[in-house]
Amino acid sequence: MTSPAEQEVLVSARGLEVHFPVRSGGALRRTTGALRAVDGVDLDVYRGETLGLVGESGCGKSTLGNALLRLVPPTGGTVTFDGLDVTAMGRKQLRELRRRAGMVFQDPFASLDPRRTVAQTVSEPLEVHGLHPGRQARAARVRELLELVGLDAGVAARYPHEFSGGQRQRVGIARALAGEPDFLVCDEAIASLDVSVQAQVLNLLRRLQRQLGLTLLFISHDLSAVRHVSDRIAVMYLGRVVEVGPAAAVAAEPQMPYARALLSAVPVPHPELERSRQRIVLRGDVPSPARVPSGCRFRTRCPDVFEPCPDVDPVLQPVGSAPGHLAACHLHGVVGAPVQRAEPGAPVGAGDPAS
Amino acid sequence: MTQLPAPGATPAAPPPAEPLPTTTPARPRWRETLGLLARNPTAAVSATVLVLIVLVAVFDETLAPYGPNEQDPSLQLQPPSRDHPFGTDEFGRDVFSRVILGAGTSLRVGFLSVAFALVVGTLIGLVAGYYGRWVDDTLMRLMDVLFAFPAVLLAIAIVAIRGAGPANAILAIGIVYVPIFARVTRASVLGVREEVYVRASRSVGASDWRLITRHVLPNAAPPIIVQTSVSLAFAVLAEAALSFLGLGPRRPNPSWGLMLADGRGFIEQAWWYAVFPGLAIVVTVLCFNLLGDGLRDVLDPRQRTLMAGGGR
Ligand SMILES: Nc1ncnc2c1ncn2[C@@H]1O[C@H](COP(=O)(O)OP(=O)(O)OP(=O)(O)O)[C@@H](O)[C@H]1O
Ligand code: SF4
Ligand SMILES: [Mg+2]
Repeated sequence: MTSPAEQEVLVSARGLEVHFPVRSGGALRRTTGALRAVDGVDLDVYRGETLGLVGESGCGKSTLGNALLRLVPPTGGTVTFDGLDVTAMGRKQLRELRRRAGMVFQDPFASLDPRRTVAQTVSEPLEVHGLHPGRQARAARVRELLELVGLDAGVAARYPHEFSGGQRQRVGIARALAGEPDFLVCDEAIASLDVSVQAQVLNLLRRLQRQLGLTLLFISHDLSAVRHVSDRIAVMYLGRVVEVGPAAAVAAEPQMPYARALLSAVPVPHPELERSRQRIVLRGDVPSPARVPSGCRFRTRCPDVFEPCPDVDPVLQPVGSAPGHLAACHLHGVVGAPVQRAEPGAPVGAGDPAS
Repeated sequence: MTQLPAPGATPAAPPPAEPLPTTTPARPRWRETLGLLARNPTAAVSATVLVLIVLVAVFDETLAPYGPNEQDPSLQLQPPSRDHPFGTDEFGRDVFSRVILGAGTSLRVGFLSVAFALVVGTLIGLVAGYYGRWVDDTLMRLMDVLFAFPAVLLAIAIVAIRGAGPANAILAIGIVYVPIFARVTRASVLGVREEVYVRASRSVGASDWRLITRHVLPNAAPPIIVQTSVSLAFAVLAEAALSFLGLGPRRPNPSWGLMLADGRGFIEQAWWYAVFPGLAIVVTVLCFNLLGDGLRDVLDPRQRTLMAGGGR
């Protein structure tokens, strides 16, 4: 495996924010606050890799995946795709982005139009982007795509309701691949499948990634699956990426208390390590993304919380021994801008000695 | 033309990981719908009767034994007989022929006014539901205002302003039904718009136009189709009411509503004069309503699975 440093960045987010307006219930529907679904994400996705994105339900994984493709408009920060500013794209460029970056959805029973045949669904990207013009050329390409995802080309004329979940998900993957994309966001792509089928679809995704040189963002709460497919893993908490690095390093030696707690819940394939594995149980509930704590957003539940945590918002910094392993936590040195406080107090600035 | 490949002629594909469906053949949805409708006796009978009524209206001149205004002063207000199965009116005109020749007027006004309401109302509902926000607010408030007027009163007002006659009756009835179609469509579109398959199509670059025409409208259609059938019933009734009030087609043209109005004056001497046109209205209205109910049963997806699974 190549180290990330030698790799080319395909998709990159800097300070990415997606804030949804919180409205009062009244007739005027005044905006009373912001739900910070994605709140300052810095993340690079390297060309050809599979990046696993994990985190508890509601931490903003789907919103981040959608914002990277501008399927949800970001309210702040930037996204670049192959060097182009996604947030500033015009009509034409956006269409090209839609061809070059696709999405595989969670529920294969909801993601296919029940009134359209498999062929109509899979050929939609071809029609939209004028690829393989002509009925026959498109039909041939659809057959090719169906075979690519392990379906018989004869199913083209059938309707989605005639298929099982696994087969439907294959149709959804064929649609996502039709425009020959570089980048695929798989948002819980195997979560709603039968356990026996999950492995098949997972292996299909892996095969396609190698065969077509795809870059994958694999969003999942199934940590074993993520570890199985990912080259790197990113951990999200309350709208922010709090740790990222090579899969092996993040899984074996998570450096930030939240990542440690999350990953301690995963069984280790090694029997001896498994026996010595300690589960860290977090106390308290996840705060609402409409009321993100000051300083380190994890401080309300952190077992290691200490003095600078409420005042300084930690930024990602190199940690551990593996190159490219980053975590946002003051235990690795206090780095970050101090929180604005109303009353004057001893400023806890960047670079202050922690303890 | 694409040539169908011979069985076994396809190149060897990687074996599918799961067994593929082999029992159910690919069948377009509308044929499935028709099949289910045929198995719903009330709807099937209603549809058949309506087809007959339409055929009568189309071939009225051939079918009617007498002309609409052929008078025989010697045969005024005659009861039903072999020559005049529905009797005659005060001018000695054949009521049977006039009911046949009036079908065209009643249906034409019904169909055209509903067509108007369907096109305009669906368009408004589609735009409001799909684009939401202020577009939705503005359009639907407008519909509310229109809807707040009692239907017949509004129709009468429109006819009073623009004058009587079939064209204005069509416009009047059509405008009355616009808000209903707009509401039904909007509600349906609001549900479909949030479907994952719409987001999925957007994610591969489909335009708004494509999303609306290929995904949103077809999936939002069932309640609109049901509403069309039910509205046709009311439109035929409304045409009769307008004619009855003298605001629709003018004498001496035959129209069911006009005949009902004229026959009313003779109800004690000649019941057939009002009853047969009245029956024609009742049967037509009932059939459109029953067909609407049948369509609702068939097009409601939950009901559909229930029935396809053998239940009834
Ligand atoms: N369109 C929206 N409007 C308002 N709030 C939203 C919207 N979409 C998501 N949210 C909120 O943003 C937060 C993040 O949601 P998101 O779906 O991204 O989380 P997730 O990590 O994908 O969760 P899950 O694992 O359950 O899929 C949640 O609190 C959610 O309620
Ligand atoms: S910064 Fe402080 S509160 Fe946040 S994870 Fe590290 S120790 Fe815990
Ligand atoms: Mg999600």
